[in-house]
Amino acid sequence: MLRTPLHRALLPCVREALSVSRASASTAPEKIEVFIDDKRVLVEPGTTVLQAAALVGVEIPRFCYHERLAVAGNCRMCLVEVEKSPKPVAACAMPVMKGWRVKTNSEMTKKAREGVMEFLLVNHPLDCPICDQGGECDLQDQSMAFGSDRSRFTDIDHSGKRAVEDKDIGPLVKTIMTRCIHCTRCIRFASEVAGIDDLGTTGRGNDMQVGTYVEKMFLSELSGNIIDLCPVGALTSKPYSFTARPWETRKTESVDVHDAIGSNIVVSTRTGEVLRILPRVNEEVNEEWLSDKSRFAYDGLRRQRLISPMLKVGGQLAPVDWEDALVSCARALVEAGPHSAAIVGGLADAESLIALKDLFNRLGSEQLFTEEQFPVDGAATDLRSSYILNNKITGVEEADLILLVGTNPRFEAPLLNARIRKSYVHNELDIALIGPQLNLTYDYTHVGEGPDVLKQLVSESHPFARKLKAAKKPMIILGAQQLKRPDGAAILASVQQISQKLGKNKDGWKVLNVLQQTASQVAALDLGYKTNARSILENGSNPPKVLFLLGADEGVIQRSDLPASTYVIYQGHHGDVGASMADAVLPGATYTEKQGTYVNTEGRAQQTLVAVTPPGMAREDWKIIRALSEVSGYKLDFDTLAEVRLRLEQVAPNLVKYDEVEEANFFKEASELNKDASAKLGNESFDVKLKNLEDFYMTNSISRASETMAKCVQAVMKQKQSKYYEAQSA
Amino acid sequence: MSSLMKFIGVDKIQKAIQIFQENGGLKASLIKMLRNDELKSGTLVGVDKYGNRYYENNAYFVGRNRWIEYADHYWLDYNASQIPAEWYGWMHYKTDLIPTKDPNRPHHRWMLDHTENMTGTSGQYTPYSTNRPKIEAWIPPKK
Amino acid sequence: MSSVHFGIIPSSRFASLPQFVSCFENFQGQTPDENMASALSLCRIGHLQKVNLCPVLSTIQVRNNADAAPTSKTYGPLSDSDRIFTNLYGRHDWRLKGALKRGDWYKTKEIVLKGADWIINEVKASGLRGRGGAGFPSGLKWSFMNKPSDGRPKYLCVNADEGEPGTCKDREIMRHDPHKLVEGCLVAGKAMGAQAAYIYIRGEFYNEASNMQVAISEAYQAGLIGKNACGTGYDFDIYMHRGAGAYICGEETALIESIEGKQGKPRLKPPFPADVGLFGCPTTVTNVETVAVAPTICRRGGAWFASFGRPRNTGTKLFNISGHVNNPCTVEEEMSVPLRELIERHAGGVRGGWDNLLFVIPGGSSTPLIPKHVCDDVMMDFDALIAAETSFGTAAVIVMDKSTDIIKAIARLIVFYKHESCGQCTPCREGISWMHKMMQRFVKGDAKPAEIDMLWEISKQIEGHTICALGDGAAWPVQGLIRHFRPEIENRMKQYANCQEAVAAKN
Repeated sequence: MLRTPLHRALLPCVREALSVSRASASTAPEKIEVFIDDKRVLVEPGTTVLQAAALVGVEIPRFCYHERLAVAGNCRMCLVEVEKSPKPVAACAMPVMKGWRVKTNSEMTKKAREGVMEFLLVNHPLDCPICDQGGECDLQDQSMAFGSDRSRFTDIDHSGKRAVEDKDIGPLVKTIMTRCIHCTRCIRFASEVAGIDDLGTTGRGNDMQVGTYVEKMFLSELSGNIIDLCPVGALTSKPYSFTARPWETRKTESVDVHDAIGSNIVVSTRTGEVLRILPRVNEEVNEEWLSDKSRFAYDGLRRQRLISPMLKVGGQLAPVDWEDALVSCARALVEAGPHSAAIVGGLADAESLIALKDLFNRLGSEQLFTEEQFPVDGAATDLRSSYILNNKITGVEEADLILLVGTNPRFEAPLLNARIRKSYVHNELDIALIGPQLNLTYDYTHVGEGPDVLKQLVSESHPFARKLKAAKKPMIILGAQQLKRPDGAAILASVQQISQKLGKNKDGWKVLNVLQQTASQVAALDLGYKTNARSILENGSNPPKVLFLLGADEGVIQRSDLPASTYVIYQGHHGDVGASMADAVLPGATYTEKQGTYVNTEGRAQQTLVAVTPPGMAREDWKIIRALSEVSGYKLDFDTLAEVRLRLEQVAPNLVKYDEVEEANFFKEASELNKDASAKLGNESFDVKLKNLEDFYMTNSISRASETMAKCVQAVMKQKQSKYYEAQSA
Repeated sequence: MSSLMKFIGVDKIQKAIQIFQENGGLKASLIKMLRNDELKSGTLVGVDKYGNRYYENNAYFVGRNRWIEYADHYWLDYNASQIPAEWYGWMHYKTDLIPTKDPNRPHHRWMLDHTENMTGTSGQYTPYSTNRPKIEAWIPPKK
Repeated sequence: MSSVHFGIIPSSRFASLPQFVSCFENFQGQTPDENMASALSLCRIGHLQKVNLCPVLSTIQVRNNADAAPTSKTYGPLSDSDRIFTNLYGRHDWRLKGALKRGDWYKTKEIVLKGADWIINEVKASGLRGRGGAGFPSGLKWSFMNKPSDGRPKYLCVNADEGEPGTCKDREIMRHDPHKLVEGCLVAGKAMGAQAAYIYIRGEFYNEASNMQVAISEAYQAGLIGKNACGTGYDFDIYMHRGAGAYICGEETALIESIEGKQGKPRLKPPFPADVGLFGCPTTVTNVETVAVAPTICRRGGAWFASFGRPRNTGTKLFNISGHVNNPCTVEEEMSVPLRELIERHAGGVRGGWDNLLFVIPGGSSTPLIPKHVCDDVMMDFDALIAAETSFGTAAVIVMDKSTDIIKAIARLIVFYKHESCGQCTPCREGISWMHKMMQRFVKGDAKPAEIDMLWEISKQIEGHTICALGDGAAWPVQGLIRHFRPEIENRMKQYANCQEAVAAKN
């Protein structure tokens, strides 16, 4: 089955480009010799001139070419002279032949570049001073480097340049279509990576326009990437428009926390304010894409913030000094002693997790829970293989069959989904799904709706079991949210059993994968947090006297669940569900304001860096807990970040091995330990929380505070009422 | 006789007594000395609508021959900005006509009342930022 | 199979008529296949004589051997016996019955059974070059397809999107002689091992498409194509696809995209269609005329075809003569025929006499023009016209006499190319619009002489820098104009400037 336009799928250079980014097991064919500017280079057959030139460090200018997209070859900027060829060739598309002598700096090449640049500028508005792309515009840069030094364009009739009506494609991407140079990168991204065939061209010749034909929103969770792809200012960021120039901003390399993927990001700041977030290349995690929530929810960092400690005075929270707040909280904690409990939310960093855990242990309490629930029967979270994505994100590209169980990767982990689509398009990956019918960006076999299918797969009585068995590298991705169900343990056990069977004789290939939903979950489990937060209520006669919420905003425990005497402390950065039910509020820092360790769903430890300082009286979270420990007389013995991390290393060494994935093991043992649970499978069908695009945008306290995300939800809802809306598309 | 009296300073005493009398007696004079650090005698040329009284005595030399006694309610908190604009010219010898006698002085309904300089008081003007605050704080819901 | 190789008779042109006729008779007696027999029964010698051979008797000429030095040879006029398209003017029945009378479908089975290599060799021997404009040797092109199959089917695409202004040869074939094309598809398809042929016909050719479809249906019904075509055991389907009338869809890869249901925009090459073409399968795109002459070449032998015209420019060709001639027409003529003779013999001469000629566009609108002094003795073939800095193209001769405003004429062509540019790649999209703007001013003379050089340079910046040849086609007319009529443009500018000065002086 071919999923790309046929001629493109078969383009040797495209295949080549892909195999470069992929580990290929096949034996390398004989290399051929070419000369780039008289520099000899040996390349594999099928390498394009442009790639060969890159190998010797010669960069050929380009607009339409992009490594991760199909070759279009329509901008003609990459024309280079090849000796003995009468015409210059397009370097991006032309595979090198043996003995070719490419001249990237000859008179003919220069002329060709100047000519193309001149043509591009004929109809490009010279509005650089008011263009948001200014300073990071490929057209600007390349016209300086490769363009002619004077203009010949005489428009004595003042007939004007081409002007194109702007399109409204949603609240995230601003279009100024007059600036478009028709490189079609956005179109190719939409159809190849995002899997939403909404963009295209209409019209011919000089009247050609890039757009959606009928005006509609670009309904993709990855839409922001077309802003990065656009080489000119035709597609820019709407929330960021007219905000800053790239040279004014300070860039901080950091990590995203809106989902469990841990996308690498660059945070652009100026005067203590986060202005925008861009993706950072990490081939093993996010390639160079970023989901819309990670990219645009940053305005939530400015709203609904907790900027000063608060205590309840007469039933109403009122701002107080740190001293008062700490003393009150410490007193409550000391009084409660072992009868205190803590719940941590999805955005907590590993440093604050370890500090909180140490403090509570000193108080004599072991009641530390994650907000995300996970079964506690059998091996539970003792064995790491049961809760991480064992095949890693890159494993998707090697797999030949993926079974999704009760998860919607498109909205739970958009970049994992993009990988699946990439593999689906280029590697003949087959996908199957157990759970509700979803609109993913690829075709899949719908195997079933509920756990009964799992039972049949365990006993191999289901027809799909044969297909699973036949697969060379199968992957099963289990959505962590299914483990919250009463029969969560049984579901996990069944999936473990299936994986265990499939994994036999697969040469170390792991089958079992659990897709987490929050950034903190893996680190919390690595540190030994418990997962059944509701159990503090079941402890009927003895409810916790103090409940400490560290960024727990999903409302697992409601105020109404607790007796009035329970003292609730909320530490976090946003006024959301947690702060509303608190008796004391300690303002913490968001991920852009602290140096914190996060472990993504594949078990990869990464750290955020401080881009801006926490606002007002807010402080980094581990420092607050450290201060609280001193006031309460249970002083934690670390004073600096390095010492906290030393402590982290003592507990879980993998947490400080940054950018490395600590692989899990004991799959068999985990499966054995959980075996008993597998009998208790329920009958209720799987349900996923994030079904549609409108569910995707607001999932945590930051994105709930974001106006941009709220606008997105509105726009999607509006689009769904449009008569042009097809239920298929989002 | 008179020279003898002059010699022994009787006329100065008389003058002092006269000034005391013109200023309303001993007690009033002492209060004025407390407020103004000096006691002068002169003609009351006018009172503005805020109660400030303006005096002139050309026996003093120029620069000291016109003066103001601030309205009583100011007590010791008086300052030159409390002189309204229309009296400012007379006080600074820009004109010899007091406002009530000056025919060219415009009067419009839109003219604002004089306000004194509030700098250093609680009523002073404080500049404030017109920018949106960078961080919007959470306001706890009222119960 | 007959022992007489009718296709490689030393050359039927040298064979005496009785011999020629007897070949036919020999075959007729030995044809085993019923289909063929029934088809041939319609095609008796008597008919052939009446339709085809009678003129031969009167006009047959014995020529020098083609190997002789070409300079000593004159080309044209073509004798009626050597005409391939015998119903070019639609005076006879175009349906199967009429076609059989004219000799179509005759011995097609044998040709097919001789196999791909034989056909390709025959086409190679004929020296046939593609009739769509580029003039690529057809035998060579077809042989690219004849590689061992990798499991993918192969396709033949027939380019009937005759969009080039001035060209009107394919439509004559399709409306008056559609069976030539249907048969050609089968023969060419066999040569390539193609599974099916797609005839991509221009949307405006409604009647042509209708006739074509009727002919295809007739051929299916007669068992000539389809399953077990002509009883050869070879399965071959022909589909017709109507385009929407975009000029760019005549470009081979754009045509493929269009058949696939996408926007007709040229693809990047490589990979060439012979590797990855229609639906990702090996494909050859050929012109209607190239395909339509193939059966006749196979029947009468490659050497026969090769005996016309100069070496490397052999064969007969349909010429379309339009413009300022007394009798615009489409005519089949020998290659290498002198342009002057072509115009004077077939088109009744230039309006107002040969001296009234201003220039000729020899091969359709995209070829550079040639002024009168070149036209005087240029021969109409690929090499001669390249030597004259133009191109043979589709042999659509556009004649313009001295009443023509030449700048305006070329400006009009640029309007066409601006309108038809697909907009995919930069030089063509932006460059042609820019040329258009300049040409509009040149028509008035509202420009500086230096701008002529600039226009020349812009056309050079477009030429060779685009994905397909449309950019070249738009640049060439302008280059031809500047090359030959630069003084004309400069005069126009001078006049305009004088005129402006006069107006300014009056005010």
